[in-house]
Amino acid sequence: MDADRDKGASPGAPRVDALDKACGRQRYAADETPPGCLLAGVKRAGIPHGRIVRLDTAAARAVPGVVTVLTRADVPGTNRQGIVHKDQPVLCGQRVRHHGDPVALVVAENKDALAAGLAAVEVAFEALPAVFDPEEALSPNAPLVHPDREGGNLLAHGLMEKGDAESALAGCDVVVAGRFATPAQDHVSLEPPNGLARLAPSGRLTMVVSTQAPFRDRFEIAQALGLDPQRIRIRAPYLGGGFGGKDGATVQCLLALAALRLPGRWIKMAWSREETFLAGYKRHAAVMDIRLGARADGTLEAIACAMCFDAGPYAHLSGEIMELGMEHAGGPYRIPHVRIEGSCAYTNNPVGGAFRGFGVVQACFAVERAMDMLARRLGRAPESLRLQNALRPGETSAVGVAAEPGTDVAACLNAALAHPLWTGREAWKQAAPAFTRRGVGLVAVQNAMGYGRGLPDHATAKLELTRQGTFRLYNSVPDMGQGNAAAFVAMAAQALGQPEAAVACVQPDTAACPPAGSSSASRTVYTFGNALLRACRTMAEKLRNRAALALLCDTPDRLVLTPGGVSDPATGRFVPLSVLAGFLIRDDRICIDQFVMPVVENPPDTGREFKLGFPHRYFTYGACLCGVEADELTGRVRLVQCLLTVACGKVFTLAGVEQQLAGAAAQGAGLALFEELALEGGRIRAGDLSTYLIPTSLDLPDIDCLPLPDDEPSGPLGIKGMGEVGIHGPGPAVAQALFDAVGLDAASLPITPEVVLAALEELTP
Amino acid sequence: MLDDGLSPMAGGTDLLVPGRKAAGRGVALLEGLPGLDGVAMTAQGLRLGALASLAALERHPVIRERLPVLAQAIACLGSPLIRNMGTMGGNLVTASPAGDTLPALLVLEAVVELASRDGRRHLPVAEFLLGPGRTALGPGEIVAAVRIALPPPGASQHFEKVGRRDALAIAVASLAALIVRDEAGRVVEARLAVGSLAPTARRCPSAEAALPGRRLDREALLEAGRRIRDEISPKGDLRATAAYRREMAGRLPLRLLTLA
Ligand SMILES: Cc1cc2nc3c(=O)[nH]c(=O)nc-3n(C[C@H](O)[C@H](O)[C@H](O)COP(=O)(O)OP(=O)(O)OC[C@H]3O[C@@H](n4cnc5c(N)ncnc54)[C@H](O)[C@@H]3O)c2cc1C
Repeated sequence: MDADRDKGASPGAPRVDALDKACGRQRYAADETPPGCLLAGVKRAGIPHGRIVRLDTAAARAVPGVVTVLTRADVPGTNRQGIVHKDQPVLCGQRVRHHGDPVALVVAENKDALAAGLAAVEVAFEALPAVFDPEEALSPNAPLVHPDREGGNLLAHGLMEKGDAESALAGCDVVVAGRFATPAQDHVSLEPPNGLARLAPSGRLTMVVSTQAPFRDRFEIAQALGLDPQRIRIRAPYLGGGFGGKDGATVQCLLALAALRLPGRWIKMAWSREETFLAGYKRHAAVMDIRLGARADGTLEAIACAMCFDAGPYAHLSGEIMELGMEHAGGPYRIPHVRIEGSCAYTNNPVGGAFRGFGVVQACFAVERAMDMLARRLGRAPESLRLQNALRPGETSAVGVAAEPGTDVAACLNAALAHPLWTGREAWKQAAPAFTRRGVGLVAVQNAMGYGRGLPDHATAKLELTRQGTFRLYNSVPDMGQGNAAAFVAMAAQALGQPEAAVACVQPDTAACPPAGSSSASRTVYTFGNALLRACRTMAEKLRNRAALALLCDTPDRLVLTPGGVSDPATGRFVPLSVLAGFLIRDDRICIDQFVMPVVENPPDTGREFKLGFPHRYFTYGACLCGVEADELTGRVRLVQCLLTVACGKVFTLAGVEQQLAGAAAQGAGLALFEELALEGGRIRAGDLSTYLIPTSLDLPDIDCLPLPDDEPSGPLGIKGMGEVGIHGPGPAVAQALFDAVGLDAASLPITPEVVLAALEELTP
Repeated sequence: MLDDGLSPMAGGTDLLVPGRKAAGRGVALLEGLPGLDGVAMTAQGLRLGALASLAALERHPVIRERLPVLAQAIACLGSPLIRNMGTMGGNLVTASPAGDTLPALLVLEAVVELASRDGRRHLPVAEFLLGPGRTALGPGEIVAAVRIALPPPGASQHFEKVGRRDALAIAVASLAALIVRDEAGRVVEARLAVGSLAPTARRCPSAEAALPGRRLDREALLEAGRRIRDEISPKGDLRATAAYRREMAGRLPLRLLTLA
């Protein structure tokens, strides 16, 4: 088994889902429309804050083809959904708190009737004063988003401390201070939120949902609607993208409600792109004040950081996202004195929620920009200041956790510094064409893996030997496109000595698969992979033992699994798996095993507000180089070079690592240069894909990915999570590169042509 | 069919966008009508059929060779998929201030060939475009073709679109230029047209008048830019502020410094 640790999946082999996806054969939740299925849609507020003074559904009910119209009065249970804090109404009864809040649910026989029914719902509001700025929301006179709530608009607050930051800052040779901001961001998954639900006569609720967390969804739905979670079955086929936007209920509670009221009927809800912008979760906009102090020789001494997150009107995972942001606010650096304070404010903006990079994107932009300011103040090159302070294994992180052994961030920086894009950068800049200024930036990044201490990061894997002698693995963690299902198949095939074609994969189904945590937090392949390999080991041992009976062999350890059977190298004899399987009852053909991610053993005595998810033990490190071109006439910026070096444990499939890194970097580039919701009074003005611009393939360079030799002994085949680490670099690296190119010192994203042009004006008087 | 109020449809890339004009109305497919497709050489120059796809026009060797300003404009319109379906007739009749082919057609002094039951008439593009979404197209009339006289072989042609990204981006500003110079490099004739800076794509006669007799140096081009600024009336929107657009108007001519 140990020799296998050095083997990746067979190189060059396409992932098992590639052909189906390329041919359009893969079935997503959105593709399932049972005959006679009804359609459900939501009437949404359209104002940022108001009291519902009249809600009349009579006209809507009278529309031919409309089957029912449901309001708050039809909701059993608490009417409150939410993952940790339950504060989001399934349907609003008295008050709406953002433009996308749902006030009525219409179920109809077809699309036209649904549209007519939604248009016929009459709702009148009394507008209430609203608040759109998270810092303003925390002032004493701000309008309250949840008037009866103790604590007002302060949804969460926390402190992480090490040493004495204030005194240390006072004694530093240099201190730089800056205020940095990052914007809200939409996930823009290809497949918008959607799903299906049906209540069977037995009372069992069956759902098919594009979701990242089928097991947890049951509890969220049950809590909101007063149901028994055991009576809810959820299937999660492949997702057409998630990125955090499907971590937490989107259509689930609404669909379940419709199903309860219309027993026996299949009901489908599929949000349009526009509805997804309006009602879907967003990356939290954040403002960060940093003071960073060092000795004259560049040694970092202290950091004080205050982060303020815009949660929108409902908690979702805001507190947890803030926690992770705070935990990363000191960067991958050695800093003895640290004070990081975080607050999350309720506002009447769109709802903040999970998004790849989960608070870290915000923190990383701020700390990397502060490092650039400090380097300039010290007259140092940005990369040398980073190298000097790079956190080494065994040293304590900003929040006081010892860094695990393994390839570190300095190695990632050094690999980037040795790369031709870096060594050749001066020549490249000199060769800039007319009207073009080039610049290169290099930053360090890190991303924690898993849920963190206090919230067991678990997965259970089930593996079945079929009667035909092939294998079926039950994936419990949805594949939202990141390729975990394919990785599981490859891992199982390798562990069982079988070709990948002999391993089928059942996608998550709470009725068939054992439970596991969500598809999130760069944890999926690590945690489920570990559980799966354990199940594979048990299975292999069982098969060797059973084969030993058939082969009359006294030393089963001598036997090996080979394609289609078990062989005895000593005798050359072979027993087919189909024969072995025929002798086993079903219970005996199944192996189930589980894994829980290890946590920090001696957590530092800080961050006490965070019972769930602080601190994290394993981090993936990286460095990101961006080369940009700024046009002198237009201020347009093009990202033309991008290199990511990472230490993410062993590489199981290079293509898998590259796809995750490149995809994440593209999303980071969108945040850096393009994406803007253009909020005005809580309303998204750029609420479709003609106005909310994500980068196209022409706007992105080929992204070079360089995973370094590394090993994580606790990981399945030595791997660590790496689905998020690639997203952090482009924001700060593009900003640093633009300073190099045109002297622009960007403190916020996205960086627009207007801003670049203004910087150019200053250069050329 | 047009009498019944149906909208003529070419590629449908404007017409079928939800929430636009066609919603609920029927369409009359122009595809297959004789004489609307293809590119023909005539004694006067080129005749581009209104139904020829933008992709086909972009690829056409004579257009690439002799009308590079148009080829460049088409190359940055939408995306390959949009160019495969979309047509120049559709781009003209949509008459968006940001229509990418329009500034190029203006500097090429293209003429629109209109056809109806009553016959054909010809209108210069500048007279065809009346306002945002408004054209001189009469009831029952369709665009049959666009006629372009080939410019002198030595003329320099240039098109630049400023968008917020490199594909699928509506122009924030655009500039088309056609410049004829003598052997000494002095401008003999200058034609300049801008997009997204006024209610329609438009020529900039005052800026054009600043160039003849001069070399295309920084000073001359800045002067042209200043004059373009005085000829336009840009608006602000989600893509850019009016101030930025005004800035672009003044700066884009400087790119002509890179003309060979
Ligand atoms: C995603 C996307 C991106 C786009 N990007 C750009 C861009 O970058 N730049 C740009 O300029 N445009 C862009 N467009 C708009 C559109 O693609 C172009 O305007 C295109 O040229 C329209 O051509 P069409 O044949 O599809 O027109 P259609 O949609 O078929 O028709 C458009 C209008 O013209 C009328 N019409 C069409 N042909 C005729 C005719 N021969 N006679 C009379 N009336 C006619 C129709 O009745 C309709 O009113 C984009 C559109 C989409 C959907």
